[in-house]
Amino acid sequence: MTADTISAVFVSGIVLASVYALMASGLSLVWTTLGIFNFAHGALMTLAAYVAWTVSDAAGLGLWLGAGIAVAIAAAVGAGILMERLIVRPFYDHRDILLITVMTTLAAMIFIEKGSQLVWGARLKQLRPIVPGQVNFLGTTISAQETLIIVLAPVILGLLWLFLRNSRIGRGIRAVGQNPNAARLIGIDVSRLFIITFALSAALAGLTGVLLGSVRMVTPAFGSEPLVKALIIVIFGGLGSLGGTILAAYLIGLLEAALIFFIGIYWAPSMIFILLIVVLLVRPQGLLGKVVR
Amino acid sequence: MRSKLDTKALGLAALVALGLVVPLVVEDTYVRHLFIISFIYAVVAASWDLSLGYAGIFNFGHVAFFGIGVYATGLTAKLLGLDPWLAMLVGGVAASAAAALVALPVVRLQGVYVVLVTFAFSQLVLQVVISQSVVTGGTQGLVRVPTVELFGYNFLRDYKFGYYYVAFAMMLVAVACLRRLVRSDFGLSIVALRDNEDYGSSRGIPIAVQRLKVLVVSAFFAGIAGGFFVIYLRVASPEVFGFSTMSLILSMVLVGGTSSIYGPVLAALVLTFVSEGLANFESLAEGRFMLIAVAMIVVLLFLPKGLASALPKSWKERTAK
Amino acid sequence: MSEAAKVLEVRDLHAGYDAYDVLRGVSLNVGSAERVGLFGPNGHGKTTLLNTVSKVIVPRKGSISFMGEPLAGLSSRRIVERGLIHVPQANTLFPDMEIMETLELAAFTERARGERKANLDYVLKLFPRLAERRRQQCRTLSGGERQMLSIGVGLMCAPRMLMLDEPTLGLSPKLKEELAIAIAGIGARGMPMLIVEQDISFVLSLVDRMYFVDHGEIAREIDRGSDVDHQEIMDMYFGEHAAP
Repeated sequence: MTADTISAVFVSGIVLASVYALMASGLSLVWTTLGIFNFAHGALMTLAAYVAWTVSDAAGLGLWLGAGIAVAIAAAVGAGILMERLIVRPFYDHRDILLITVMTTLAAMIFIEKGSQLVWGARLKQLRPIVPGQVNFLGTTISAQETLIIVLAPVILGLLWLFLRNSRIGRGIRAVGQNPNAARLIGIDVSRLFIITFALSAALAGLTGVLLGSVRMVTPAFGSEPLVKALIIVIFGGLGSLGGTILAAYLIGLLEAALIFFIGIYWAPSMIFILLIVVLLVRPQGLLGKVVR
Repeated sequence: MRSKLDTKALGLAALVALGLVVPLVVEDTYVRHLFIISFIYAVVAASWDLSLGYAGIFNFGHVAFFGIGVYATGLTAKLLGLDPWLAMLVGGVAASAAAALVALPVVRLQGVYVVLVTFAFSQLVLQVVISQSVVTGGTQGLVRVPTVELFGYNFLRDYKFGYYYVAFAMMLVAVACLRRLVRSDFGLSIVALRDNEDYGSSRGIPIAVQRLKVLVVSAFFAGIAGGFFVIYLRVASPEVFGFSTMSLILSMVLVGGTSSIYGPVLAALVLTFVSEGLANFESLAEGRFMLIAVAMIVVLLFLPKGLASALPKSWKERTAK
Repeated sequence: MSEAAKVLEVRDLHAGYDAYDVLRGVSLNVGSAERVGLFGPNGHGKTTLLNTVSKVIVPRKGSISFMGEPLAGLSSRRIVERGLIHVPQANTLFPDMEIMETLELAAFTERARGERKANLDYVLKLFPRLAERRRQQCRTLSGGERQMLSIGVGLMCAPRMLMLDEPTLGLSPKLKEELAIAIAGIGARGMPMLIVEQDISFVLSLVDRMYFVDHGEIAREIDRGSDVDHQEIMDMYFGEHAAP
């Protein structure tokens, strides 16, 4: 194995990891705040990618790419807020909210996925890259768009971290996740923060969708395919900690790239699933987690 | 009390009789096909409810057990030349074995972890099926699976006449077994454990063992149903592991009402006809899944006990337990 | 006491959980700059009363008014905005947040944000221990520190009246003493307070007036000046459980 291959595996791992980190942190945000898992998170990515394509691609409206991205993220946020209102909020006081919302968000995922297929057809689409061209990254040539993803992911996650740590609303979101009743007693409007959280998570999904949409082909299953891996990452990271989730995303991304290189593209996901089951047997609280919820 | 039981027995007998005469009246192959498919789904949905509804295990891998039945039967019949009847049994056993494997982590975990592990498990099986394309046909699917014979009768004859009765019998047996099971001491103990873990374990009910049993048993029915599915259709596609299949069968469980055996069976009949009927309209081939998704949400929002809870109370009382 | 002087007035309040009634017609009031105690056996509705006033649970019947205005139909948040602050029983607060973050966050409403700096200074002066541990996470705090933080959080909300739910639950005598001094200090600033307590000598040392809550009703009102002595209160408290 030469230095070139090591670098190639590393770079492709970092690209994967960046996408996973963006997805998993959106999932983790909703999980820690509302205590539910949004299975439609990937579908929001898909929706955003299609909307961006429609607005920006020559075959669509052919507008400026920035407009496409803005509209796409707005669409994801709108869909996210709608989902919170229609299929999550009615169950807040329900004993089985976790199980029920798994089913309702699963239904939402099917709805968006099949709806996209109906609207945009089965033909593969691809977004124009935000930055065109090729870049030499650590001795490996990758597209400039992939470089953008590598650079942008930590920036966005860093901003998210700062927001949650230092802003009034961000701290409120954390407080609501940790103790909603105590949050109410200091005057926090819990249901408003639930919506904001959902919207924020949807915005992350939308952003991930438009970034990934020019690297991969956009299909109706575009976002659902990496969703399962993002779910696994959230478990690996120990449910609930943003830092742990992001660390786990980078570990799994790199591991997957290495596995793809060594045992092939088909067996790599299987190995990761098996690893997940082994980890859960040994450490049910996740690899990096501290509490079981 | 007596008359209540009698009406119920009478009603069931009437339904069975009705099921028996359908092929005599209905000669259309396609309608018979829909009945056969709905009987298969009925078994999958009702057995799923055993683990999801009665035992309260957040099991989202049930459709994978069905899929394992499909592929285990299809492959042993096609590649090993096993008699298809036996191969169906192999399907059931393979699904049960897989369930035992999944149970290993699942019985020790709680809540969302169970959801995620069972989800990941379905994806794992899907990946394995796709990756082993030399054997499984990969994304192209498994084709030319041998068909069954019985005393020299070839089931391909008579416009699915024979298949209909086999499917009907399979469903009746499965429903009878599941009904018996949920009303047995074992069935009552899993419900007790679902509603109150501490209570159950303080009474000396071994929680892990009971959960393992539930998963193995419910997977067996799903596996047998999968076996019959592939022998009947003669093809298998990795789509059986997909989200669409899962949502279709989940909608049957929800519409039929969780913690019920008859409910999902009836829902399977209705929803199969509705969804297949819609599939005939070209514009709705995919759109029907959107309708199914909406149906799931509507049921969860307004009829948490399934469609039956919308029926008049007197009817409900008569059909309950 | 004149009507205008009543800060909190509760009339014929009924509330409960599911089919179970906990409060069966409670009426009480708290005057301006008055400290009022609520005591009585566990499970007889003291915490439920506070929860109902702060709208953690919705009352079934009866009225609550604060500073002359009815609170009917208002959410917990609106009540906090008006300055009626409920400090719940020593709970975990926000386990993964640091002390300083928690205090800063607690000034969440617009009015409280305006007073944030002054209130923070006061809280840190009142409980120097919180200042020493400002970067420590709530989950790692001792019982006494949690109580201090809970009260501190209440003060950060810019209260016009405080309702404290068992502020000394499970604390050592020494810590109780420390908290009693702090609470008396808050009261000395003219803050009206409603204090739920099990520890009779503690509550007697702090309040001007007391209500004895029994079976979801106010069984008796005791003025400080009245000649009910300590022994009588003990009898009241333990009466139905038979004296040793």
